[in-house]
Amino acid sequence: MGASERVIECEALTRSFPSGRALDALTIDAEPGEVLALLGPNGAGKTTTMRLLNGVLLPDSGTARVLGLDPWRQGEELRRHTGVLTENAGLDERFTALENLEFVGRLRGMSEREARARGGALLEQFEMGHRADVKVQGFSTGQRKRVALARALLHDPELLFLDEPTSGLDPAATRAVVDLIGSLAAEHGRTVVLCTHFLGEAGKLANRMAVLFHGVLHAFGTPDDLAAELWSRFEVRLDLGAPAAPPLIAALAALPQVHEAIATDQGALVFTTERDDVPSVVATCVAEGSPVFGVDPRDPNLEDVYFAIEARATGNPAEAPAGVPA
Amino acid sequence: MSARRAGAADADEHIDWGAVRSIMRRDLMAVRRSKAVVLPMLLVPLLMLVLLPASVGLAANGGGLDPTRFLEMVPSTLADPVSRYPVNEQVVILVLGYLVAPLFLIVPLMVSAVLAGDAFAGEKERKTLETILHLPVRAMDLYIGKLLVGFLPSVAVSWIGFGLFTITANLAAWPTMERAFMPTKLWTMMILWIAPGVAAVGLGVMVRVSVRVNNTQEAQQLGGAVVLPLVILAVAQTTALLLAGLWPTFLAGCVVWAVAIWLNVRGARSFTRDRMAARL
Repeated sequence: MGASERVIECEALTRSFPSGRALDALTIDAEPGEVLALLGPNGAGKTTTMRLLNGVLLPDSGTARVLGLDPWRQGEELRRHTGVLTENAGLDERFTALENLEFVGRLRGMSEREARARGGALLEQFEMGHRADVKVQGFSTGQRKRVALARALLHDPELLFLDEPTSGLDPAATRAVVDLIGSLAAEHGRTVVLCTHFLGEAGKLANRMAVLFHGVLHAFGTPDDLAAELWSRFEVRLDLGAPAAPPLIAALAALPQVHEAIATDQGALVFTTERDDVPSVVATCVAEGSPVFGVDPRDPNLEDVYFAIEARATGNPAEAPAGVPA
Repeated sequence: MSARRAGAADADEHIDWGAVRSIMRRDLMAVRRSKAVVLPMLLVPLLMLVLLPASVGLAANGGGLDPTRFLEMVPSTLADPVSRYPVNEQVVILVLGYLVAPLFLIVPLMVSAVLAGDAFAGEKERKTLETILHLPVRAMDLYIGKLLVGFLPSVAVSWIGFGLFTITANLAAWPTMERAFMPTKLWTMMILWIAPGVAAVGLGVMVRVSVRVNNTQEAQQLGGAVVLPLVILAVAQTTALLLAGLWPTFLAGCVVWAVAIWLNVRGARSFTRDRMAARL
């Protein structure tokens, strides 16, 4: 793969199972060193996408190139360069942590010695060195995830598929795993495809996100791009100490750059075109004799973006965050 | 044309014996560590192939067993060859030479069924299959590795069991027979030629069953329903084979192997990554 080539390019990827269509005409791509988050609820098609892109499942239709290879005709070659963390850590409980890594290392073409050395070093790095020779059976979920992550990195892959890497982890372990994933992309230049339904980790890690519902891609881009696409209006929350009086609401609504003004318990919610409109909104309040105790101009966060997309996808505008045009 | 219909092919059709060995090594190590798998695999053959012949041999030495009435009830094809021996040897020849023969086909069937169930359905049950499917190992190499993990121990248990049976039978019956009467050419043919074929048939059945179910228990139950008629067939036919002679036994072995190869080739063709992943 050339330096400028995309790591993942897929077009109109479709796959059905007897239970129904799992993925419908998915078109996405990923750049080298990027963290691409596949977001969506359970059953959205995230894991199916990961399995298709790693050549484990075959599509009904569509095309893909991953690391410059055809996942379905050059699957073995592709999988030499990818590492996968499955949702269930997938460790064999009858073996020790190191034996689990050694088996995978051997199947990846390493000598026994090399697999043990590399596995041991990674377990140390993930603070599991002291349990390397202990059977996995008694490990906590966090310990299993760390061993599984070490296994995914054993052969220094160019592309990582991480399926729900923090599910079942406590907050401290979640933070450790999120930091680790961040460093894999930022410091080591690996491309990461992150399947998750946790918006927090996606928000911290993802350069771009693909939002899936019922196998259909509903949005794809950077969180900012998606917000800009969804939010034609800018939200300003005014703390006036009391609900805004009707004359003030009328005055705010009369401003040319204001789309809508609504009275709230503590003041008013005003939707303008952009951030630069905030001073004139505040000036209007002052001019109407209303004291302004606080101004909260609010950019949409990832959660807003996600739920706005979900509301659009499910056709239920009532679930959309405030400020999203119906 | 979709990739599924086109049937995405592995570019390299050669078997990667390194991968096969790694899979076998890991699974055999796991089998050794699993009492639930090892105990029935060793105890049942020990009971059937060592304790049973020892008991019969020792009982025959006491001279209290007279098979005459029994021989009058069985078909002449079985009774005639046994009747040619002196009366005190007839019990040993009848039981150890003919009647326990089916056990040697039940043992490889049983062992291969236990191991195949663990090797294929066990991966799903332990949730380790997906990890393996994401490795750079061809489905064919995985299939061969798993198949050999079931096949080699079942043949080894049969052959070692037969060795122990031969020693036990000859020692226990020595006071009566005053010679080593086992193994005969027919027995050797059955153990070296038919028993491995039967193990391969058992594997072919169990692999196909295991791919379709979600855990070892289901595999054993469903597999048992398919393997049991084979066991009955084996029991019914084995003694007759020993009476039929060397060539018919060899030909029967050819039929068993043909069925085994057909089952396993079909199994290998249907053992695709996509099919396995779609059932996860």
